[in-house]
This record gives sequence, C-alpha cells and structure tokens, in this order.
Amino acid sequence: MAVRSSSARAGDVRAGPATPILEAAGLCKHFRIGGLASRRWLHAVDDVDLAIGEREIVALVGESGSGKSTLARLLAMLHRPTGGEIRFHGRSLGRVRGRGDVLAYRRRVQMVFQDPYSSLNPVYPASHGVVRALALHRPEIDRRTRTAYAERILESVGLTPPGELMRSYPYELSGGQRQRFGIAQALACGPEMILADEPVSMLDVSIRIGVLNLIADLRSREGVSFLYITHDIGSARYIADRLLVMYAGHVVETGPVDDVLEHPRHPYTQLLLSAVPDPGAPLETLPPTDAGEPPRLVDPGAGCRFRARCPYAVQDCAEVTPRLRPMRPDHAAACHVARSEVLDDG
Amino acid sequence: MDGAPPILEVQDLVVEYLTSQGPVRAVDHVDLSVAPGEFVAIVGESGCGKSTLLFAIARLLSPPAEVAHGSIRFAGRDMVGLSERDLRWVRWRDCSIVMQSAMNALNPVLTIGAQLEDAIAAHEAGPVGVRRRRAAEVLRLVSVDPVHLHSYPHQLSGGMRQRAMIAMALVFAPQLVIMDEPTSALDVVAQRSLMTQVRELQRRLGFAVLFVTHDMSLVSRFSDRLAIMYAGQLVELGATREVFENPRHPYTTGLLQAFPALRGPRRRILGIPGSPPDLRSPPSGCRFHPRCSHATDRCVSEPPAWHAPAARDVVLCHLYDPRSTVNGRQIV
Repeated sequence: MAVRSSSARAGDVRAGPATPILEAAGLCKHFRIGGLASRRWLHAVDDVDLAIGEREIVALVGESGSGKSTLARLLAMLHRPTGGEIRFHGRSLGRVRGRGDVLAYRRRVQMVFQDPYSSLNPVYPASHGVVRALALHRPEIDRRTRTAYAERILESVGLTPPGELMRSYPYELSGGQRQRFGIAQALACGPEMILADEPVSMLDVSIRIGVLNLIADLRSREGVSFLYITHDIGSARYIADRLLVMYAGHVVETGPVDDVLEHPRHPYTQLLLSAVPDPGAPLETLPPTDAGEPPRLVDPGAGCRFRARCPYAVQDCAEVTPRLRPMRPDHAAACHVARSEVLDDG
Repeated sequence: MDGAPPILEVQDLVVEYLTSQGPVRAVDHVDLSVAPGEFVAIVGESGCGKSTLLFAIARLLSPPAEVAHGSIRFAGRDMVGLSERDLRWVRWRDCSIVMQSAMNALNPVLTIGAQLEDAIAAHEAGPVGVRRRRAAEVLRLVSVDPVHLHSYPHQLSGGMRQRAMIAMALVFAPQLVIMDEPTSALDVVAQRSLMTQVRELQRRLGFAVLFVTHDMSLVSRFSDRLAIMYAGQLVELGATREVFENPRHPYTTGLLQAFPALRGPRRRILGIPGSPPDLRSPPSGCRFHPRCSHATDRCVSEPPAWHAPAARDVVLCHLYDPRSTVNGRQIV
C-alpha cells in the first residue's frame, strides 16, 4: 500500500489527494454527430471532476460506452476537451502549446492501450516502441547505452530473457508478453503517470493477474501513478486505492475502493456490484432491475441519466442533474435519493 | 450421464490443423457427452482448442483443420460422416449456434426481421405471414420488442444484438444450442441478464446448451457440468458445484484463484506462472507440468490417465492415481 494522504475533508466533494499530479475540473467532451451542419451532440464525457495523486492507483469503472476511454484520451491530450480544464501539477493543459511542450507532457503522462494485438507495429520488433521512446524522450541516454537501458526496462516488466525478446516481433509473442511490451513502452519515458485503458481485458485469465501485479509493483517500486480503466470491479479492488464509477459520461460515485464496494450509494454502483458473478454466492433469483436500456447520450438534457433504469427514481431525477454529494468520509455519489451519512453542505 | 441417452456424444475426438511443419493437434482425444436439457460449460484459455472443438461438433471446420480421429454423434446421427445436404437439415433446426461476436455474425445490410425470416424460409416452406409471426414470437421470447424486426443491426445495442442472435438460434426449437463466448463483448450487467435469460429459456424449452467461455465465474451459477480444457485436452470434468468447491486439477485450482475477489481480505494472488504451451510442440508427459507446482518426474515423462476421485468428477492428473504417492503420502 502506498502512503495516501487523508487530509481531504469530509465536505470536499472531490475527495482525493492533497497534492494531485493530474486534476480535471468540469471536464466535458461532446462529439458532433451527423455532419458539420448538425446540431446534435453526443455527450461522451460530461462535467467530470477527478484528481490523481502521487503514487496513487485510481480505478475507473463503468459499462462500455460510459465514456471511460474518452476520459483517458482527454487526459492524454489525444482529444481536445469541449469544456472544463485539466491541470498537471497545477498548470492548465490549455496553455500547453507547441511541440516541445506537448512532448514534455506526453513524456510524463503515458498511455497503455487495451488491445496488445493491434497497438504494436507488426513490421518492427516489439521493442521498437521502447527504443523509440528512449530516443525521443530521453536525450540524456546516449545511443550506445540505449539498448542496455531498454533491456533493463524489459526486465523490470518481467520480459525475460530481455536480450532475446529485444529482437522478437509481435507475432512471436503471447498476449501477456505484448501487453508487457505496451507497459515497457510507456515506462521508457520515465512517466509520472500511466493511463491504462483496460490493459488486461484482452488477456487470458491465468496471465491477467501477472500484469495486475506488475502495475502494483511499478507503483511501489518506481512511484508511478495509474489511472486504471476497467469494467472488472474485482481487479479494480485488487490494485486500486480509489474508485470512480462512470455512467453515461458522468462520474456517479467516487471514494476509497473498499468503502465504495462495501457501502455503494449510487443505484448504478449497486446494480454493477450485484451483477458481478460470484461463484461463492448462493443461487437466488435475481432482481429484475437490469432489463434497462443503454442511456441516451445524444443531447441528453437535464436529469439523472440512470433514471430510466433506476428502481428509486423520483420526480426530481427527471428534472435536475444530480451532482456529486458527500455520502461518507471521502466518499461521494451523484444521486438525489441516496442518503448521506455526513453533513451535506452542498 | 445417467438416465436418458445423451443428445450429443463426442468420442475420442482428434482435430488437427495441417501446417507446413506437420499437423498441429488442437483437440486431443476429447470425450464429452451432453444429456438432453443439460447445460455443459467448457472453460479454457485462448488457444486451448475450445472453439475448435465446438466447430468440429457443428461441422464448421474448414481446411487446414480436419477431424483426424474419433466420432461425434448428435441425436443418433454421425456428424462426421454426414453429407452437406443432410447437414443443412440438422444445422439450425436441431442444432444451432450462437457465435462470439454478434457484431460480425449479423448481416449489416439486412434488417433483423429479414435475417430471421430468411433462416425460417430455408428450413420450412410456408406463407410469409406465418414466418413474420414466428420471427416476432422468437424476438419476444428473448425480451426484444418486435418493432426491432425492422431495425438494422447497427441500431441495436450490443446486448440486444446478442439477444437477436439467440432468437435466431431458437427459431426452430433445437435440441442443442452451441454458444461460443456469446457474452464476452458485453459488460457485466448485460452479461448477467443474458445468462439468466438463456437459463430460463432452456428450462422452458428444454434444449441442451454447450457453452464455451474463458470466464469460469460466469458459468458458476448457470451450468450443470463443467469441462476444463488445457492445451487441447480436457483435464477435468464434473458437476459445476463440485468443481468449484473441490477443484481437483492443479490448473482448475489455479484458474479459480486467478480472480481477485470482491469480498474478504485483500491479498496478493500469484495466478498461474508461465503461459499456455505452443501446440506445435506441446510439453512431454502432462501438458501442464511446466506450470504446475505439484509436478514430479513422472509428470514430465508419462502422460496422465483419467482418474475418478469422486462419483461425478473425472480428472486427467497423476495426483489422483490411486497407486501414486507424493512425498510418501497418498494425495487422494
């Protein structure tokens, strides 16, 4: 476990680390759909606040289409936000302009992609990305020591023997090895933060845990922070300190992992938790709340986006978009109905 | 199994891919039977041969894959020797298949209704009105509003597309439905609701299900029996509850421990070391021995035989040989 700051006040909705590395406030990404003249907007990410601290692993969970990947791409500067602000060490990314600045940011905030089969270039050796990252981002390492340095990185992500693997091509590698190359590539820049977009969901069950352990080790050994995006809550609990639950572009619940899992406040989090297959649980009839449809993301209007599927929806849910409210210490949820256990000053 | 004769009986099946470096055995002497109305799940990692096994059963293998040995009997018929013409009658009507990716399995330029009616027309002559009614009926069966008969696949969500696929599979009340990871593209909420529905339909309509997945916990509450596959071989076969409560094969035990739990203490899991073997040159003896913590010299040299440590559970592992002892004491 990393040392985590606990100085966030109960009343602080963004309940996070005191000195965040990466912060977002009111972040939005709306895509225009149906041509240039169209007035229809798809709200992929709407009004998201988040903060990731030093040596922290934050897990972002949600169903497909909830905006998790878009959020990661916004943070990696692969998309330009349509609203809100991202701050890195307190400095707004809106002011990061020019190739030099962008490169410097990318060096410090790296991304690992979901599909290790398509994120490595098949015509180069798999180590190409690692060597290239070193050449681009680490000018202090001169050309002659670059290979030795790359081998050390491969070794640190469990790719052994590194000498042999330096020369292998992606097709010669297993899925787990490819994903380790993806992580090695990100590590080569010496980043402070890695945005990992479902890094294990394409991997086999028996090798998944190895990659998760690697992420946990890199945090404690190299001090890298992670945003770990997943739809598997079990793995989120396994490595993360804090959990963000996303639904239809909104963050609907956030807090320390165990607290959210033990006391889920948002009905969506509750539904998500009840749907996780648990071999140990007794066979019982399942509640009929999950027949719902995916939410409308094109010009959604006001109101809670979960209301159509929510068993507790009241009149307010259709009219006012709920904002994150503190529910328990460090733990907030965006729901009109959920009962708060701490003083609600919002 | 006991009672009724099995609807599907696979005996000593060997499927090989013919490559320039010689045949690669993807399914290696597999025996499996499915009773009428039974839900059998096959669990294994990618490349273990589980999809090849399904394809062999459905006679969907195409070169360079071929059945090298063994028999597949479905409802008393020999599937391996069946002619293309007879096969057309059996497929879809008696034995239907739900593919992994509904996104690719549905025709993007035809409406759901047109595709359903097409399948019906291929097997039954009859007026258009009857076909339409039937199509609407099966869609309702899987809780999709029949208005979607006029929808194209891209207009449906992933879960609905997968439901539409299942509706197509059920259009003729088949005796066996083969499902190849039908839920792997869905998120947990949609996954559970689909599984519950398959189970309920199965109870109501009485078809048998052969379900392939890599996610063991997914089938824990739905399947009657569980077959674990590793490197082309079945390594454990037993009642689902029994396998979960008393896993016998070290690979099964490893798979069960590879999932981080949602409850209980947080502890470091090690998973299964190493990675699955290359089927072009499988390890000698027991194929799992390079990754197994119980491996002995015997596991390296001698392939294990089937042992039955419990009444309904069989396992392919030397540890359960009644004659063998490890560290001077009997394991079983």
